[in-house]
Amino acid sequence: MARTFIQIEAVTSMNLRSIPQRLWTSLATVVAVALVTGVLLSFLAMSNGFRTTVQGTGAPDVAIFLRKGSGSESNSIISRDQIQLLLDAPGIAKGSDGKPLLSAEMYAIVDGIKRSSGTKANLPLRGVGSNAAIVRRGIRVSAGRMFRTGTPELVVGRGVSKQFKGFELGGTIRLASQNWKVVGEFDAGGTVFESEIWADVVLLQGIYQRGSTVQTVRARMENADRLKGLQTYAEADPRLKLDVKAESDFYAAQSRGLSDLILYLGWPLAIAMSFGALAGALNTMYAAVDSRMREIATMRAIGFGGTAAFVGTMAESLLLSVIGGALGAIGTYLLFDGVSAATLGSNFTQIVFSLKLTPALVLQGVFLAVVIGLAGGIFPAWRAARVPLLAAFRDP
Amino acid sequence: MTFFDLVRKNLFRKKLRTVLTTFAIFVAFLIFGVLATFQNALNSGEESASADRLIVTNRINFTLSMPISYVQRVAAVPGIKLVSHANWFGGYFQEQRNFLVAFAIDPQTYLDIYPEFVLPQAQRDAFLHDQGSIIVGKPLADKFHWKVGDRIPIKSSIFRKADGSDTWDFTVAGIITPGKSDVDVNFVAFHYEYFEQTRTFGHDTVGWMIVQTESPKVNERVAHAIDAMFANSPFETETKTEAAFNKAFTEQLGDLGFIVTSIVGAAFATILLIVGNTMMLTVRERTNEIAVLRTIGFTARRVFGLVLGESMLLALIGGILGLGGAFAFSFVLAKLLAGRLGALAFSPGTALIGAVLMATLGFLTGLLPALRAMSLDVVTALGRK
Repeated sequence: MARTFIQIEAVTSMNLRSIPQRLWTSLATVVAVALVTGVLLSFLAMSNGFRTTVQGTGAPDVAIFLRKGSGSESNSIISRDQIQLLLDAPGIAKGSDGKPLLSAEMYAIVDGIKRSSGTKANLPLRGVGSNAAIVRRGIRVSAGRMFRTGTPELVVGRGVSKQFKGFELGGTIRLASQNWKVVGEFDAGGTVFESEIWADVVLLQGIYQRGSTVQTVRARMENADRLKGLQTYAEADPRLKLDVKAESDFYAAQSRGLSDLILYLGWPLAIAMSFGALAGALNTMYAAVDSRMREIATMRAIGFGGTAAFVGTMAESLLLSVIGGALGAIGTYLLFDGVSAATLGSNFTQIVFSLKLTPALVLQGVFLAVVIGLAGGIFPAWRAARVPLLAAFRDP
Repeated sequence: MTFFDLVRKNLFRKKLRTVLTTFAIFVAFLIFGVLATFQNALNSGEESASADRLIVTNRINFTLSMPISYVQRVAAVPGIKLVSHANWFGGYFQEQRNFLVAFAIDPQTYLDIYPEFVLPQAQRDAFLHDQGSIIVGKPLADKFHWKVGDRIPIKSSIFRKADGSDTWDFTVAGIITPGKSDVDVNFVAFHYEYFEQTRTFGHDTVGWMIVQTESPKVNERVAHAIDAMFANSPFETETKTEAAFNKAFTEQLGDLGFIVTSIVGAAFATILLIVGNTMMLTVRERTNEIAVLRTIGFTARRVFGLVLGESMLLALIGGILGLGGAFAFSFVLAKLLAGRLGALAFSPGTALIGAVLMATLGFLTGLLPALRAMSLDVVTALGRK
């Protein structure tokens, strides 16, 4: 047993040290595996970044009210009478002024110009009052100031100014047939709100001729368990034909579709590509074994076992693919981690997110590389283990 | 033995290696073919757009509506042949995840302006005469098993009827088939009149207008005239060509072109390495016999051709198999994605680009090894063991 180990060690180190002799072949395998890992990890980072942004939005103790069956904020409508009824709903936390923490918000879609393509894309313009930033936690004006009530000023999320043109602080932009002054930029902890433009709700209702209706109402509950009570309250009153959801659930449901789609595209693509890389790895390893035929047979003749030849070849294949996997992961991290992207979310408006590579994802990429290394090594290793002794005397 | 025979025999001498290399090429071309098909489907709105059609939307954002009176006013603009209009319905079938692209349209003008939406004459007449009827795209009819004459309930996530219900019942009058392969018919459409009579809000407005001009040459003038007519009104308009409108719409999804190009690029970089490397290996192993060939009278140019021919043949076999696979796969995808993604069809353009890629791949991977084989010093090579 101990002898086998010594043999394995000897053969492995000999194989690994001989890699430079087959530098280009080995390098081709490494780069092929790196590219495959890179493609997989880019997709995983995209899917993860989008999901983190959307899923991280909303709190479990914030209730969101939408018109029944509307599904999205832009399709919803809530009347002034309904807002009045909600003010008396049970379980809603009180603000410092003793009034319920309720935020009635208008949601409209306007055009922004994407920096990447120069084309128009749908941006959410949210009409809010002073409670919007209190009901939600973690909204912070990071540059400039909040808009003044009743004036055509607006604040933009960090994502908006990153991905869209014309939202420079202090500048003027035309939205909804009105000139607006951009007075502030806000940080919302990397959530969907950072993809939004906020302005005064009363002003917007006037511009859009929406009277006193809004799209949604958000309420800070005393605690997350109060949701049931609110749902019962809404169901009991025929005037309140509303869907009541925890804000966190509302956003979690929106994250699934697209992030799953990216995953469903990413994995099959990476697997298909790995078959290509595998073919390359097999060629390289077979060639390596073939070029060592005489050497292996000679070692067999002087008493080395087949196991040593097998393990030595496997180790070489694994090393090449693991280096490839690591290079792919590093490359993806350097090129794509933190890169900002925008796509159409389920509200039919843009969601800005950042690609995000995590250690868990890197592990998946390295796993794929190891599988390629194992599969690419096993057959050539098998051949190496069965080299006939006669091969030692054959012409190369 | 002809030259080609020699190339072929050489290629299949190491069967396993050739099969593996061919497989790698196959995979790369499969990826290319499938992604190109995807991209075509996403761009189909732009490709199939008619040069003489303009889309008029609300200037603030295309999801906002405009007064129906605009239709008559636009029709009076010189240079316009036909005006139609449509309204987004926010439709779904049974459950919200069965999302439908559903429009309330002005039936006669809409079908006249879009001749590529093909309906049998009898079905067309039936649709025009029955206000409560609907026409449905073929992929959707297949997916939900709708037949002509069926009563189907379509729900709206936006509109409500007077009784508070969100469900509209329609009779299927016809099934729309695409007039060309790149035409997307993943939608349903019904009478605007019926919609107007039954909805509870948004009266006397339309979502957008479709304008057919007398010729693409007058597009710019007509677009300008339309937008100028409504400037400074509460409902300003923006008029674009259909192609520009569709392109902007696709761009909303993200920089898909970049993603597709990167993946195909990565896949081809991979096989370029693998195949190039294999060819190098092959030539090195054959050093001896190439020297023999030269000795028995093969010119350097023929040896060059022999090696390059082998890599070309390899790229051709793998490439054709890969494109064939993508062609077959596109049918499966079209079935799977019915109702979600437009005209999913493998296009001749994709095949053409594929052919160019094959030639390039074959040339690039064969060039270095072929040069090496050509420039072999015969005496040294013969002596080498």
